Amino acid sequence: MAARVPALARVVRFVLPLAVVTVIWQAVVSLGFVDSSLVPSPVQIARSAAALLYPRPLLFQYLAVSLWRVGAGFALGSLIGVSLGVLMGSSSSVRFALKPVLDLLIAVPTICWVPLLLVTVGMGGPTIIIAVFLGCVFPVTYTSMNGARAVPRDVVLAANAMGAGRAAVVLLVLVPGALPSIITGLRLAVGYSWRALVGAEMLAAAASGIGYMIYAARAFYDVNVMFVGLAIISVAGLAMDYMILGAAERRTVQRWGMVTKTW
Amino acid sequence: MGHGDEDMVGRGGQETVIQLSGLRKEYAADGRSVVALDGLDLAVCANEFTVVVGPSGCGKTTLLYLVAGFEKPTSGRVLVRGQEVTSPGRDRGVVFQDLALFPWRTVLGNIAFGLETQGFAREEARQIAGQYVHLVGLEGFENAYPNTLSGGMKQRVAIARTLACEPEVLLMDEPFGALDVQTRHLMQEELVRIWEAKRKTVVFVTHSVSEAVYLGDTVCVMTARPGSIKGIVDVSLPRPRDARDGGVLDKRAEVLALLESEVRKTFALGDVERNSPDS
Repeated sequence: MAARVPALARVVRFVLPLAVVTVIWQAVVSLGFVDSSLVPSPVQIARSAAALLYPRPLLFQYLAVSLWRVGAGFALGSLIGVSLGVLMGSSSSVRFALKPVLDLLIAVPTICWVPLLLVTVGMGGPTIIIAVFLGCVFPVTYTSMNGARAVPRDVVLAANAMGAGRAAVVLLVLVPGALPSIITGLRLAVGYSWRALVGAEMLAAAASGIGYMIYAARAFYDVNVMFVGLAIISVAGLAMDYMILGAAERRTVQRWGMVTKTW
Repeated sequence: MGHGDEDMVGRGGQETVIQLSGLRKEYAADGRSVVALDGLDLAVCANEFTVVVGPSGCGKTTLLYLVAGFEKPTSGRVLVRGQEVTSPGRDRGVVFQDLALFPWRTVLGNIAFGLETQGFAREEARQIAGQYVHLVGLEGFENAYPNTLSGGMKQRVAIARTLACEPEVLLMDEPFGALDVQTRHLMQEELVRIWEAKRKTVVFVTHSVSEAVYLGDTVCVMTARPGSIKGIVDVSLPRPRDARDGGVLDKRAEVLALLESEVRKTFALGDVERNSPDS
């Protein structure tokens, strides 16, 4: 086992390269190598962020709306994706029926659904949540199915020999056995969710959300606000991945020795 | 379904528990049909420790999986207590070659699995599982996950997990094959001790002749593929046995003599795999 790196050291290790990049960026803009109306400096972006927080905390309002949409779509997509995937992995007849559909749908870029949803569901939150759902349900289904299929035959037979019926095998063996794959799928899905969210918000949001904020800023040539949006999305995505799924992974499959630690 | 061993008294009579007759098993492999077993007959008596040895690829695992009900014979019959085996059942416990532990469950959780599926409440299941932790000497490791255990300890979990279901028959598929020599011998001693405490009908598959003669009441030697029973050596020697004891050596020679020509056939088949019989 690798020596455990102290928490503070890990934070420094993560923040330091970013700080260096930020300083260089600031210098490049301040020294006039690039046009600051096209590429704003970190200080300009920070000022712009501050203006979005005070006097009205617009940024928080947008973030809250976006988090709700991405959270709802992700939760729905994960729940259905894991259930469907494990069922497909456990039963060849379910798999034969659904695999071709999954193979086709997984190839469709999520943004393609949005015009259709605009016609059928209309502008606003529900369309965006459905887009996020569609963005993660297929990859999660796929990885969950593969995870369930990768559970060794003897492990399933062992459960059978100890009296586990079909339902017990699915719930007590295939779901935990597929967990390394499921968590990998969910981590990918966090990224897909944010992509779907921002895309859908640009097309379908009436007046709220981070994606809307970025898109609306183009009307005012407000590059600063666009950069604020980018920064918020990257930090929120990272937090979701690291704090929720990363923690889940460390507490489960890593602890059980089902995946190797990466650091 | 009592959880004591009061119903297992001594070495019972000669009633047959497992009856295999005219067993044939064919597999489709790469579009070809492979006959794993053909014309196999075997009777296993209650509370007896039966060891099956044979050259690699002779169908030892197939034989065990047929009794376990994981697979169905192409023809012939598998009877356990006179009933045709059609599916896995709690009356037949299996210890797998690769152990097949649940890595997401602790030692106690693994052992309690069969009790939970049997409908015991979680607490009760854990309490009974605790007795089996004690039986296999894993006290203090109840909450450890399998990935933190040594090979021999994992082995004990696998055995305890199977015994906790109180099966009448214990089917063991080369369970000690992956252990180093010293651990392997310790586990053999442990198994004899547990078997003497619990008195199950055991069918134990191995490719090691010395292991077979150390453990078994009877040693069944299988032919090269397609497997059938070539001969049965009755090892009626008192336990604990010493590998250097004259009687044990004689039995070993007897088994080896039966086995040798079959191993040669297997070599001639070009079927030299990872586990050729050691002595």
